[in-house]
Formats: sequence, structure tokens, C-alpha cells
Amino acid sequence: MGGSLVRPVLLILSMYVFLKFVVPNIPGSAPLPSSLIFLYLMLTTTGIVIFATLSRESKDAFFAPILNFLTGENIGAMQAARYGFLILFPLLVGWQTYGSTATSDAPPAENRTIHPAPPGEYTGLSNPVSKTPENIMQGKGFYAAFCSPCHGGKFDGKGPAARGFNPPPANFSDPTTIAMLQESYLFWRIKKGGVGLPIEGMPWKSAMPRWEVELPDEWIWKIIMGEYDGAHQSPRTWE
Amino acid sequence: MKPANQIRQWVSGVGAVAVTALILSGAAPGLAQESESVSVSAPMVKGTLPVDDPNAAIWSTAKPAKFPMSPQVHWPNRILETTVKDVSVRALHDGTQVAILLEYADPTEDPDDAAAIEFMVGDKKAHFAHGQPMAQVEGGPVNIWYWKNKDKKGVDMNAMGFGTLKVQTHQDVKATGAFSNGTWKVVFTRPLATEHSAEDTQLALGGFINIAFAVWDGRKDGSGDLVEKGSQKAVSSWWYFRAEAPPDYSGYYYAAFAAALALGFQFVLIRKLKKGQAA
Repeated sequence: MGGSLVRPVLLILSMYVFLKFVVPNIPGSAPLPSSLIFLYLMLTTTGIVIFATLSRESKDAFFAPILNFLTGENIGAMQAARYGFLILFPLLVGWQTYGSTATSDAPPAENRTIHPAPPGEYTGLSNPVSKTPENIMQGKGFYAAFCSPCHGGKFDGKGPAARGFNPPPANFSDPTTIAMLQESYLFWRIKKGGVGLPIEGMPWKSAMPRWEVELPDEWIWKIIMGEYDGAHQSPRTWE
Repeated sequence: MKPANQIRQWVSGVGAVAVTALILSGAAPGLAQESESVSVSAPMVKGTLPVDDPNAAIWSTAKPAKFPMSPQVHWPNRILETTVKDVSVRALHDGTQVAILLEYADPTEDPDDAAAIEFMVGDKKAHFAHGQPMAQVEGGPVNIWYWKNKDKKGVDMNAMGFGTLKVQTHQDVKATGAFSNGTWKVVFTRPLATEHSAEDTQLALGGFINIAFAVWDGRKDGSGDLVEKGSQKAVSSWWYFRAEAPPDYSGYYYAAFAAALALGFQFVLIRKLKKGQAA
């Protein structure tokens, strides 16, 4: 007895090891959330049970060791493991119940949208300033004066004034920031600042100044050119 | 029984227990999140709250939370470098009053050294920079508790945007500072609840509210002007604050009940299985 359970148990354990430790190390992959691992293990278990119960013989062979393990009939040296299981199971149920009912010490979760949709008037605007080396150079100069204290001299979001801000200033060299956006989007964000964000962008948390109060539009368009050039990125365009 | 069979049984038995544990623990919610640098938690104390003693021993019972500070760059007049880089915060309450201790490094004691705590008021969100008006969200006011070394007192204020700072007609906040070895310790105290809910933040036990901090180093430049003054200060973003509710043991009762239920289920199941086997 017991032998028919070795393979299913090993299969589930291997599945767990694969999902938990192998999948995150596959290039381009990421660690799986425990709820997803749980779901996959449940699917694996369901598959095993279906497979094991295809015939009466296989069903008996599959369930007999489980029944014997639970009842303690003829299991010899397994008796200790059985007691361990019988003690562990109620404790685990109690622990899980505690985890789901105890008051949480964690502050409310915040689901902030990093790039919320801009107002209609800021979609599809094209940069009216011609892309000459002089204008780009001027844009970089404005960037150094107004933007680099937070967004950094290297366009990496690590300026000397950045450390206290949550959310942190955008890292323009990261391909998931300005490279994903059109110039008109940047124009909106620079002009209206953090307080111009819609509710899903949590405007009350953003330190981004409302530059329309201090800078003319032409300077903002030049800053945008300087940012893309300095961060070695290109604006997203309509293909 | 053959030894090989015994080993196989052991493998399957231990494996079954391990898989059950893995599955159950995988489904269980994660352990408590690291609360430092995200939230200040004020435990409830029995006895006297150290309302005017920044050096009281009881402060060590409160877990410190450390928050990074930035120069205020959101609105002119801005500043690009400030003295204070971090502020460490502890808090306690006694069910009636709350005491919040700010601790930060400042090389020199100056008359104009100052610190402030900011809260949102009511249900509306307020921008962390003095409740600046927001374009697409209707914001609320902020409640600011302010202390300045030379004034030796706390001031209770409100704002809804830069330039709108107003001292309240009813002052509920007290503050005391102590400087030693290049470190300021400033205690702010106020009743948890006040009668002025439109101006004062209300601290309900167990609930998370937003909190932010500001610090001014009162040093002067070569020409005798203050370097950090008004909007030129070190600021933090919004973080969280919670005055802890009295201990709640109901989670343990539920857990004990669930464990007893599982034990009963096991007992009934095994009895039933044994009867089936006997038959």
C-alpha cells in the first residue's frame, strides 16, 4: 500500500517547485502570486483525482492508502506521520481563519494609475517647435534648471530633491515612461502638473509643479525635446 | 513489511502532509506587511501620556517610523536643498489624547527652527502641499499643527492652497521641543477628537488617516537672512497614521472555533471510514 500515492505526491511537489522556483527564473517571466500557484496546484490535484478514478481498480488503488492512512489500519511506521497530520490539519485551519479575520496592520492598498488618460484637448497635439539642435540644446538647458532637481541630471528620476517624494519622480530613461507616451501627453503633464491628474492618478500625492504658471508653452515643448534626446528615447507616434 | 515499501510509505505520508501545508499556507494571507516608512502606529498607553516630555522613557514603547524628506519644489517660492533629510516619528495615545514625537538631525539649535504635521480634514482628499487646488478632483482643507522653537507653543492651522494658511480661532494643539546633541525632539499633542470637525482632523481609533511632515532649519545665510522660511522647507509626501484600537482578541476566538470544527470533522470522518472498513 502507499505506493500508488508516491507518484501523485511527487507530481504535486514537482509542480510546486516548478511554479515557485523555476518559472520566476525563466527570462521575461516574473514570480507568480501565491493565489495563482494555489490555483495551479488545485488544477493539478483535480487532474490527478480524475485520472485516478477512471476505473474501479485505479480508484481503489488510489483511495485505499488514503483511507488506511486516515484510519490508521495496517500502516505500521506511518502512524507517527498520521498523528502529525491529524494535529497539523486543525492547527492550519485555525491559523488560516486567524489570518483572514484578524484586523490588518497594513494601511489601505493604493492602486494608483501611473499614466491616466489625458483630457481630450491634450491628445494628438504635435510639437510646434522645430527639432533643431539649437532648440534641443535649449530644452536641455531648461530641463537642467527646472526639472533635473527631481528627475535627475541623468534623466533617471534620481535628482537631489527626489528622495522624499512618493510617488517618486518619473525615470525618463526607463522604457516604460516617456517612450510609451506621445509628446502631447508630456505637454499636459508638465503644463498642469500633479494637481492636474484625474482621481485615478491620485493628484493629492504628486509633487510635480504646475509649470503653466511659470513657463511659456514654447519652453515646455523645448523641454520635451530635451528630455527625449537626453534620455535617449523617442516619443510614441501614431503608426 | 519490506524496507523499500516502508520508505515509500514514509515518502507518501510526509509528502501528503507537506503538500497539505503548502496548499493551505499558499492560500493563507501573507504575514503583516512591513509598516515602517509607510505608516505611523500609535499604541494605546495606560497611565500618563508624555504630552510635554520628548525624552520620556515611555516613548521607547512606540515603534519609530522613518520618512524621507525633500525640499519643497512644488510651488514658488521653492527651495532646492534643505538641512533635514529624514524625520523619525513615534506616537502614543491614551484613548483621549494623542502625542506625536518628531525626531530629526539638525546641526544647530536656532530660534527659527520649526516643524509641522499635516493631516487631511474630513472625507475629501487634500493635496500634500498645503491642500493645493486640484484640477479634476474637488479637494478638502488640510489641518496643520505647527511648532517654532522661539514661540515655545503649538499652533493649530488650516489651509486650502498656498497663501491661504490661517490660524484657527480655537487652539487645541500643544507642542514642546527639546534640542540635544544635534537632534530635535518635538512633541505635538491634541485630543483625539475635537468639536470642530470642519477644521480639525479627527483621529478615530483603528482607522488609517493621511499624515505629512515639514521641517524648517532656522539657520541664516551670510547676509543674516533665513535660508528656510515659509514655503522654503523640507517636506514629506502623504503617509499613514493610525491610533491603535484596544486589543481585539476575536481573531483568536474564531481561530480556536475553526480548529475545533476541523478536529470534530476529522473525528467524525475517521469514525465513519472505520465503520465502512469494518463492514
